[in-house]
Amino acid sequence: MTEAAASQTAMIEIIKVGKSYPPNVTALTDISVSIASGEIFFLIGRSGAGKTTLLKLLCNMEKPTNGLIEVAGMNIHQVTGNKLAKLRQRVGMAYQDFRLLTDRTVAENIAISMEVSYKKNQIIRNRVRSLLAQLQLEDKHDILTGDLSRGEQQRVAIARAVANSPALILVDEPTGNLDATSTEQVMELLIRCRNSGATIVIATHDEALYRHSTHRIMKLHNGRLDSLTRGDGQGQPNTAGATDDTGATGGSGDGI
Amino acid sequence: MNFWFSIFRQTGRNLRQTWTTQFMTCLTVSLSVLIFSFFYLIYLNILNAGNKVTDDLRLVVYLDEEPGPEMQKQLRLKISQFDQVQEIKFISREEAYSRFAEQLGDNRDVLTDMPTDFLPASIEVIPLKTLRSLSQIKLFSEYLATLPGSQKVQYGQNWVERFYYFTQLLSIVVLLSGVLLILTATFMVASTIRLTIFARQEELELLKLVGATNNYIRTPFLLEGILQGLIGSLLGLTSLYILFQWITRHFSGAGFLDLFTFTFFPPGIIATIILLSIVLCTAGSYTSMQKFLRI
Repeated sequence: MTEAAASQTAMIEIIKVGKSYPPNVTALTDISVSIASGEIFFLIGRSGAGKTTLLKLLCNMEKPTNGLIEVAGMNIHQVTGNKLAKLRQRVGMAYQDFRLLTDRTVAENIAISMEVSYKKNQIIRNRVRSLLAQLQLEDKHDILTGDLSRGEQQRVAIARAVANSPALILVDEPTGNLDATSTEQVMELLIRCRNSGATIVIATHDEALYRHSTHRIMKLHNGRLDSLTRGDGQGQPNTAGATDDTGATGGSGDGI
Repeated sequence: MNFWFSIFRQTGRNLRQTWTTQFMTCLTVSLSVLIFSFFYLIYLNILNAGNKVTDDLRLVVYLDEEPGPEMQKQLRLKISQFDQVQEIKFISREEAYSRFAEQLGDNRDVLTDMPTDFLPASIEVIPLKTLRSLSQIKLFSEYLATLPGSQKVQYGQNWVERFYYFTQLLSIVVLLSGVLLILTATFMVASTIRLTIFARQEELELLKLVGATNNYIRTPFLLEGILQGLIGSLLGLTSLYILFQWITRHFSGAGFLDLFTFTFFPPGIIATIILLSIVLCTAGSYTSMQKFLRI
């Protein structure tokens, strides 16, 4: 694939991105990677490695100190106003701290991402029910999210992130509070979204999630890119075949 | 789902969640409107009464001697040189006497031994309706006093001056209460909206993150401002109307209220007060919202 073709299909371009917080905390240094459209991309590393910071930069919650981030060909940190709102409607983010409205029901929390893009009521209702069914939360439809367990809240946060069928889904520690069955349901949901064309970036330190995958895995260490590998589906990362930063060889297998 | 449906639902949710604060703000707005419109109503009625009285304003120039036809012509010319007037009327000594006798009515006997020319001749000048301000009337009166043969000029100076200063004082009160209305309404609505924003900061932040436009976030708060302005001013004006009805019912028939007809605001002024209140409350809401959206 030529460089031009590769950049055409890239959903995310991260070029020499750094992020520091005052007074002198460096969260990220010189991160460069390209993530292809429709790819599932794992972001791994120990706590404090910079995974969440990178996700926050990708959804424009924070601005990089230096470097450039492009999503769908747009420099997201130069977009403002309604254009930024439209861009955010195409990016679904499941936060590590969930960010649920605890005084609203599960259905209302999931619906919020569709309401802002003025989806029809009927479509919203159907989508909410379908997502709850996929995550086995049908009976929680009218329960306040504040009354749910952590694991259930986590699944609701993921459902809200994917509800509006975004082109880019960012998931921060999706399985931290989940048992094996729920983890499988969440991953199946994410793969369905990928199959519908979404690009998915998963930040995790749960090795079980990516060990047997065939997707690219980027490891961060102290805010620096430590390695960029591709899982071979056998539990052994294949370093040689995945260090091309173009992202043009996005993962094809659906194995978890 | 369309934009307005979402907005109305958000507004309803806001009102439900913060109804006590909203209610208190509405009361404050209505109190401000009531204070302002109370003074404004009194001011307007007194101005109306003043207009009716000054419709009858006439300046009387008492003359040393009764002017002949030629002199009358010259005086008329002199008066018209200062300003156009509505009417100039010469009153002879006899006419003055007969008017006085008429005014005395049954007591006209007191004039029996008096000569019919003991009253001075005079000129009655009825100025145009445009001559309203005290300084203009004073200037005109001073000019009339310089006319040849003029003895004295009278126009009820004391009454006109007192009335003028009273209306001046009242206009200051109306102005001050108007400023009070503007400050109170704007400040109260701005702080209520700020409180609401503070209470719902988490939700508003989330709305931004999931791609809500600034209008989507801002419009429900602007609607709240509009509602507070509308309901507050309607409450204030309704209270004033009830007060007005009570006063006219209890004080009609006798006393000073009989001197002039006490009327409520015409529809134009009611609409202006409501509109002003809405604009101020919306402005208060808008400024609070802008601060939040800038973050």
